Amino acid sequence: MSQKQKKSNSRLWFLVHSWLALPIWFFVLIVSFTGTLAVVSQEIVWLANPDVRASKPSDDAVPLSFQQTLEAIHKAQPQVAVDFISKPDESHFAYEASVTYPDGRSPTLYINPYTGVIQGESPSFNFQAFTRALHGWWLVPFTNGYSWGWYLVSLLGLPMLASLVTGLVVYKKFWKGFLRPTLRVSHGPRIFWGDLHRLSGIWSIWFIAVISITGTWFLIQAILADNHVTLSTEPIVPVISREDVPRTPNGEPAQRIDLDEAERVAIQQLPGLEVSFITLPGSAYNHLYLGGRGWYPLMFQTANINPYNGKVEAKFLVSDRSATEIVTESMRPLHTGDFGGIWIKLIWAFFGLVLTLMVLSGLLIWTKRTAQATAAALKRKPRAKLSASADTTTEASA
Amino acid sequence: MSKAAAVPPSPLSRLWHKWRFHLNILLVLIPLGFMPKYFHDASLFRGDSGLGEHEIGEIAVGPWTLQLAELRDDAPRADGPAGHFKLFNAALCSTCINEVKAVYLRIGKPRSLRAAGVLFSGTPYRMSANLPIPTNTRSDAQIWITIEGWDGSMQQSAIPLAKASPATIAWLQQQGGK
Repeated sequence: MSQKQKKSNSRLWFLVHSWLALPIWFFVLIVSFTGTLAVVSQEIVWLANPDVRASKPSDDAVPLSFQQTLEAIHKAQPQVAVDFISKPDESHFAYEASVTYPDGRSPTLYINPYTGVIQGESPSFNFQAFTRALHGWWLVPFTNGYSWGWYLVSLLGLPMLASLVTGLVVYKKFWKGFLRPTLRVSHGPRIFWGDLHRLSGIWSIWFIAVISITGTWFLIQAILADNHVTLSTEPIVPVISREDVPRTPNGEPAQRIDLDEAERVAIQQLPGLEVSFITLPGSAYNHLYLGGRGWYPLMFQTANINPYNGKVEAKFLVSDRSATEIVTESMRPLHTGDFGGIWIKLIWAFFGLVLTLMVLSGLLIWTKRTAQATAAALKRKPRAKLSASADTTTEASA
Repeated sequence: MSKAAAVPPSPLSRLWHKWRFHLNILLVLIPLGFMPKYFHDASLFRGDSGLGEHEIGEIAVGPWTLQLAELRDDAPRADGPAGHFKLFNAALCSTCINEVKAVYLRIGKPRSLRAAGVLFSGTPYRMSANLPIPTNTRSDAQIWITIEGWDGSMQQSAIPLAKASPATIAWLQQQGGK
């Protein structure tokens, strides 16, 4: 390839890179920013709402078991029906119990893990759910399969991946940037934003790759689901058979095993299972459903226990997954950074902010340079050919 | 596109070049537009705005009573090859909570307890059942509520589908018109 041709190719790549996010830059910016917020939404709620914090009354205080928590709730509020209890991954969060009141309201209660005191009830505005809904599907409701907002957001994975690839192509010998980081602050804003864009770009290669690949997976996941294709090997657990649910001559509800007994049975029969949540049976014919993260922190392992005889009637462990599932099920935690505690979340949030800044700095560079460069290139080249390539890229991103 | 841009740009291409950056505004208007709907749904799911959008009222089933509501006052929703479904919510009377073992819902009279229909699941104060609605359901159909007691007793009651879900009747009539 001649030197001249090489140069014009790289100019083309450069144009493609410059135009990828442009017509929708503000949308991309908000998606990056809300994604960043969503990663640390649980922590933001922790800062804002003292009810969700787990304060230890004394150094030797021991956290309550599931059954103790259930009893504490019933003692404080005998009328309330509990359907789910979870012990969050990190010890600075209160236990959560989703409950229903006799008037039908079903909030989440925050329970002190040591004293069992009900510290508060989830407010009607759920910040975590809202940031996730805004980031994940642009608030477009799910009415028939996946929401079109989900498609809109997850489609961004493709131009993002393309930005990464074209960015590395146009940034000649980008690996040198690791050894000699440059950030010139006194050469005017164009140079500064350009340096910042390249510097944050090379340090975020891995992050942009992870987010764009997992984001594209969300697109594939929606396409599969909307075409009724499932990759799941998770067993569909039938309700408990009629014969196994005791009939009580006195008309009282049949005795169920307590939650700690269920946890004990599950751990004993399924070595490696850790229990961080329990869903109580939704009817006389439903199982206790319990689970938690296993040795592979990106996945949850679960078991269904018959609440009358304590038998494990279904299980879904890491070892039960197909190879495909191990990959596809890892996508979501990789995207959200929720698999190894606060430090991983903070790293994800930091790079999320860097990514948001890259969208912003990319726009600033564009306003200062690409507009002129495009005009110049269009003048130099036969008009038809170049405008065709520019149009395809912009439309693919929109 | 390339041909259009050759000499005289086509109206479409001019439109795109003139308005492409306004896509941002359009995209940001989407979540703003859906926000009221989002908060309406959040309140509905949390039970802050009652059992459902369409309260059917109290229904006596033998010695027990039950509040029934349609979660959404609209047409049944498609779930792929499984067909169409309508979500109903129910709440048991406070005195019958300990006597009731299970509550079922079905279109048409069940022949036995084993064929009583879909099982309600949740808590006694708010439980849900997703009722399959075949497209050939007659508009004068009845939905049957079956309650099974812990003592083995069975009680039944029926209400017209037209009363339980006017939106489903409207939808069925549309299906028939095809």
